[in-house]
Amino acid sequence: MRWITLLGRIGTVMLMVGLALILASLIAPTSEYSGFPESISPEEYRVVDLGIYSSQTGCQISVESADNISVYLLGVSPVELDNWTAQIGEAYPGLDFWLPPSLVVPLIFASEAYPNLNETQIMDIMSDVAVLDKGLQAHPEIILWGPPPSSTFSYEFSPAEVLNIMVIIANRSPDAVDVKTRISELTAVVPKERVMLPALLLISIGIALAIPWFILRKVKKSTL
Amino acid sequence: MGKGRPFLEIFTYALDEDYRFPILEIFAFLFALGMFVFANFASYPQSGEAVAYFMVSTLGGFLILFIFVILVLKNVAYGLGSDLERGVMQTLFSYPLKRRYILTAKLLSGLGVALLLFLGIQIFGLFLLAPDVILTYPRTVFLTYAAQVCSPALLLAGLVLFFTLRVKRAGLAFVIGFVLFLAGLIISGFVPSIAYRTGSHLPLQIWAVFDPNSALQTYYSNMTAGYFPPGTWVPSFSEVLLYLGAGYLLVAVLFVVGYAYFDRRLEI
Repeated sequence: MRWITLLGRIGTVMLMVGLALILASLIAPTSEYSGFPESISPEEYRVVDLGIYSSQTGCQISVESADNISVYLLGVSPVELDNWTAQIGEAYPGLDFWLPPSLVVPLIFASEAYPNLNETQIMDIMSDVAVLDKGLQAHPEIILWGPPPSSTFSYEFSPAEVLNIMVIIANRSPDAVDVKTRISELTAVVPKERVMLPALLLISIGIALAIPWFILRKVKKSTL
Repeated sequence: MGKGRPFLEIFTYALDEDYRFPILEIFAFLFALGMFVFANFASYPQSGEAVAYFMVSTLGGFLILFIFVILVLKNVAYGLGSDLERGVMQTLFSYPLKRRYILTAKLLSGLGVALLLFLGIQIFGLFLLAPDVILTYPRTVFLTYAAQVCSPALLLAGLVLFFTLRVKRAGLAFVIGFVLFLAGLIISGFVPSIAYRTGSHLPLQIWAVFDPNSALQTYYSNMTAGYFPPGTWVPSFSEVLLYLGAGYLLVAVLFVVGYAYFDRRLEI
């Protein structure tokens, strides 16, 4: 009798948590828009740091330019970014202050490609496309998206894990290029694809555990 | 008859009283829904540990902690208070158990089960939304929950336990608990400005004993450069641990006082 009650109450709690998950996943995602035009010097690249993203927060990126450009979406885990920041601090004591990810990534690419250069030289070459190519070759695991060169790009994504997301826009031509970037942040309360299965499991197990208890309650009430 | 059976009897009675159907289910629903609705994982770039701290903090944000505090107040102030008011405690004293075991059974139900529900749903949510955070930074996750649970929930529970035993009235004890909770919120808003005006870190350090999460938050926020102006009090990691330890010591003292009062001074 007590075991049925205990299991029944655990079941009803699981059922409620499952229902809360379903309800949260039905709330429509909201979006925030930010856009900015800029000019990229010949044979250089820019890093646009989008911040931390998770399965809850995705974004849509649109890039337009007058000429063909290369766009890469990079995702670096916070742990890896911490390691890289520490590596830069050790290799270049003059840069041993807090660096934003938009600087850490080019610096690590440059320092790995040209380990014998000093701080000033590294800072001078870190935005070169050649450095980017070497960096991407050395770290293919951080490339989330890398389409062929074009003048218009559009991509929507939401990472499976917590990542620092950066958009890299590379101008491989010998002339400066004007680029318009548009980023729409999509925030979902709960990512549907991730919660549906656990929610359904919770609801099914919850109902299975709660039914005997509900029957017992009804029988008890009717006999009173 | 051993001590186990009467203890279980009282524990079962307390569970029945504290979590009448559908109270437990409503709180479980509110914890789960509130956690997902108010979680905001979008943040500015910081170190991995700081990211983990802020993620856990948003999952157990103000509203969830508020719901948790209401549940704890309902169980400790209202549950225990109404047992004292209605004379149920006299019946419980007739069990072949020491008084402190009776109080333990009541607190295990009122506080222990509430804590289990809160932490269970939180960890489940964190595993669902950001499993890598919990696996990469278990220390940060543990410390953040330890600090969040310490104050206001456990500190308030200790204070409310004592006041409930003193006033022996459920409604009044609940109101006192809620006023103390609001007072804590107001003081936490004033402390930084007092520290700023006096130019001393002492108010922040004293407050960190009552609310170790404030020290933890300062420690992790400082991992983002430029977050604090120079001269701001930022504790080191060992200091944060010290404040957390002091916070739990304070909680332990409050519960010991409550137990001692229940054991020796409570007259019914």
